[in-house]
Amino acid sequence: MVTRSSPPLESQLPLKPVELLVLTMLSAGDRHGYGIRQDIIDHTRGAIALEAGNLYRTIRRLEGDGLIDESGRRPAADSDDERRRYYRLTPFGKRVLAAELERLRALVKLGEERRVISPVAV
Amino acid sequence: MTPKDNEGRVRGENLYRLLLHVYPRRFRQRYIADMIAFYRERVRGTDRSELTSFAGIWLQLVPDLIASALAERFAWLHRETEAAPRVVRHFATRREDSMSILVQDVSYAFRSMARRPAFTAVILGTLALGIGANAAIFTLVNAVLLRPLPFAHSERIVELEHGDQYWTVSEPEFVDYQRGVTAFAKLAAYNLSDVTIAIPGTDPMRSAGVRASRDFFDILGVKPEIGRTFAPDEYSPSAKVRVTVISHRLWVQQFAADPLVIGKSVTIGITPFTVVGVMPSNFTFPSQEAEFWTPWRLNPDSLWTRNNHYLSMIGLLASGSTIEQARTQVRTLNHQWMKDFPETYAPNHPITGQLTPIRDFLLGPTRPYLVALLGAVVFILSIACVNVANLLLVRGEARRKEFAIRTALGASSSRMMRQMLTESMIFAMFGAVLGVVVAWFGVRGLIALAPDNVPRLGEVSVDFRVVAFTAAITIATGLLFGIMPAIRGMRGESADTLRDGGKTSGHAASAVARRALVVAEVALAVVMLTGAGLLVRSLIKLQDINLGFDPSRVLTMQVTLPQRKYNDTTANAYFQQLLTRASRLPGAQSAAAVSYLPISGSDNGWSIMIDGRVVKTIAEAPAARPEHVTPDYFRAMSIRLLRGRVFTDQDRMGAPPVAVISEGMAKKLWPGVDPIGRTLKMFSDKAPWVTIVGIVADVRARGFQKDIPETMYFPYAQSGQSAYVMPLSMTIVLRAKRNPVELIAPLRNVVRGLDATVPISAVAPMDDVVGSSISNRRFATMLLAGFAALALALAGIGIYGVISYGVSQRTYEIGVRMAMGASPASIMRLVMREGGRMTAVGLMLGLVGALAVDRLLRTMLVGVSVTDIPTLLGASVVLAAVAAGACLLPARRATGVSPTHALRSD
Repeated sequence: MVTRSSPPLESQLPLKPVELLVLTMLSAGDRHGYGIRQDIIDHTRGAIALEAGNLYRTIRRLEGDGLIDESGRRPAADSDDERRRYYRLTPFGKRVLAAELERLRALVKLGEERRVISPVAV
Repeated sequence: MTPKDNEGRVRGENLYRLLLHVYPRRFRQRYIADMIAFYRERVRGTDRSELTSFAGIWLQLVPDLIASALAERFAWLHRETEAAPRVVRHFATRREDSMSILVQDVSYAFRSMARRPAFTAVILGTLALGIGANAAIFTLVNAVLLRPLPFAHSERIVELEHGDQYWTVSEPEFVDYQRGVTAFAKLAAYNLSDVTIAIPGTDPMRSAGVRASRDFFDILGVKPEIGRTFAPDEYSPSAKVRVTVISHRLWVQQFAADPLVIGKSVTIGITPFTVVGVMPSNFTFPSQEAEFWTPWRLNPDSLWTRNNHYLSMIGLLASGSTIEQARTQVRTLNHQWMKDFPETYAPNHPITGQLTPIRDFLLGPTRPYLVALLGAVVFILSIACVNVANLLLVRGEARRKEFAIRTALGASSSRMMRQMLTESMIFAMFGAVLGVVVAWFGVRGLIALAPDNVPRLGEVSVDFRVVAFTAAITIATGLLFGIMPAIRGMRGESADTLRDGGKTSGHAASAVARRALVVAEVALAVVMLTGAGLLVRSLIKLQDINLGFDPSRVLTMQVTLPQRKYNDTTANAYFQQLLTRASRLPGAQSAAAVSYLPISGSDNGWSIMIDGRVVKTIAEAPAARPEHVTPDYFRAMSIRLLRGRVFTDQDRMGAPPVAVISEGMAKKLWPGVDPIGRTLKMFSDKAPWVTIVGIVADVRARGFQKDIPETMYFPYAQSGQSAYVMPLSMTIVLRAKRNPVELIAPLRNVVRGLDATVPISAVAPMDDVVGSSISNRRFATMLLAGFAALALALAGIGIYGVISYGVSQRTYEIGVRMAMGASPASIMRLVMREGGRMTAVGLMLGLVGALAVDRLLRTMLVGVSVTDIPTLLGASVVLAAVAAGACLLPARRATGVSPTHALRSD
């Protein structure tokens, strides 16, 4: 595992779309790689289905930047006999995800003001 | 951490594991387990995406794998040592797998090339020229010399002919060979001759046809493209239906490639023949002109006489027999004949069979030229490599600081050498790609310019051999010019280099290397210049050879009177009328007709008797080449009359028969005496004695380099009585006041106007006829001269580059000299001296090399020896002049150096 001191938060933004998706899915809890893919498929209704190469490159980048790390969790021996890694958001990763979502929220608000999309009823 | 092997493995997992190796090692180590687990899940069908079939999974998986692996590899380069300078990032890490190294080196080489576009362009241009020229010439050499001949077992096919005096084979001799030479499994005879051929619906025309005996096609092992060859009974003299096989070209041109050509009729001479087959387009045996083949209906009971030689022969060696064995058996037969038939074979004219493998027979004359051309382009490539090596060495100088940093940071010397070689190979590969374009145009140009009689020209194309050759020379080129810079790079640099900014230390060694390279290319250029010079001088000497006639401004046109329509009287009247009208054409000076045009190939000797001396056997009889000519022939061809007179209109049919002989014949048969008034006659009881009335200068009827035949001329009008036969096929020679080509159409009209059924063939200015006899030589010589000029230019560029660089390196020294009072002239002398030294050494080595290499050209030289002083001197002077010119510009630049600027800038 590569450990380094986290770079400043602003330098991480804006996140790439795939990275945003992965971090958002991990906000629900620890996941292994395939689980992340399935969550993304569910969320995007099949529009985005990440393959292994793309997914693990993203995981590698996020790990390298300290946004995620390996969870200590192991699967139950009877449900899954493979020693897969599970990933989780780091505190820094959570902050970065929050910052990005705030950024996007501001953008969405601008879009509502300009009637590009209709405001969501609160 | 890997999944437990073999437990839970799914379909295609082994292949997937293998493919994962495209990722960098570190990435693999970290994520391979996850990715395999991912794959298992995908395949097990627990997927929620739409595409779940196995094929569908792989269709998505493979592109993702390739793209992400490539991206990861390039990203890896930047990721590891982000903080360090770029150059260190490339070479500081140690544990790298070779794939990563290659990708690193390749991307670094690309970036280097892109940073210096002009430099890259010069290198690529030089390489493209060198590699392209080689590929183009090799394509030609491959098609003509290397590709297998279109015959089955061509290595066992042998051409059999006779030597001096006899040249060809007679019918009884052929039959004797068939019986007596058991080393041949099969023997066939054939005869190529011009005949008039008429296809229904088209004008009759002259065409070359081959009469071939049984086994001819079997020996060659060629199947027709359409139809068949001949059935055994079609060779019988009593065969009712006459059949023929036509050439591909005739089929396309005269039958519009009609697939239903079989069964169509063709009139050959005066006989109708039925087409039974069409030969493939690459079959042109025995000559590119052959248009049709007919069965030769040899009657073993009624053979022509033993002394009538006109046949050629081919044989297929029996399996297990060698050509030597065949030769021995042939010679044994020859000796037997001399004993058994003394009246045919005189003891001082022994008959000897000559056996030549078919490959040498067909390709032999062209081989030396093609080999010389291939040698020349290899030289050019070498010179090009020297130039590129020099350029890379110079650039290597500029990168010494970079090399020093790398070495200091721990890059191994082998690592740097590998990187330099990778760069060289990339240059070579791109140079080769551009070279292929050069070669493509080069081959088109070669085919367009090559003379028609270069064999197999129609088969020139790129095949695996050409591709393999080009790949091989590309790699060799890359190594050749890359090795020196690579070794320089490998030596690495010391801390001194870093301290002094990379200005001193390595200079001396590199400068010596560069100078040595220039000396080498000057030497190579000298060899090429001398070789080309010798061939050019040969060509000039050849063309200066006095042919005995003046071919300029003469138009030739062959007309053949149809047998059925004309007899001696009407043929004579026809030609008289024709020549009268022709000589009256505007622009015409004189007109005549001749049976065999000089140089054009026909070359029989006829036996004669002289001076009332009856000779018992034909073996003892002298022989000479006969010509049937009309009275104005000697004037039209500008053949000089030496003694006596030429023919006049009084020498007509029925008048006392006369003859004119050549100077050589006079000297040979009447040495020391005046032959005017002497007599000769054909070797036949019925032939009358003919009086010699004139002697003319010798004519080189056989061509430039061949011997001069003794020739006897007979008036056309009398030739029916005095010279066996009045030929129906004659060549008109029309001397024009200006351009003979202008008379082609008017002359055609005259011929058509007299008789529209008379076919016209072989229309050409006599200059072209003469020129085509040396066309191969001329083509090769011109190409070699062009290549020599290219080599000279490249060598000049090489000299310029090294001197120029030397000047820029010595700016400080020049500044000091000038500050100390040196004149511009002395600075110039300084620079020119350096160039002069390199040139002198190169010249010396080159001349020595030239004497060795040019020896190989000996067979192609005419009238010049390998040590021809004017040529060697001329080449040296030209090279020295080019070298001086190449040094001049940098020398002048050196005089423009400002001392203060030079001293300050260092």
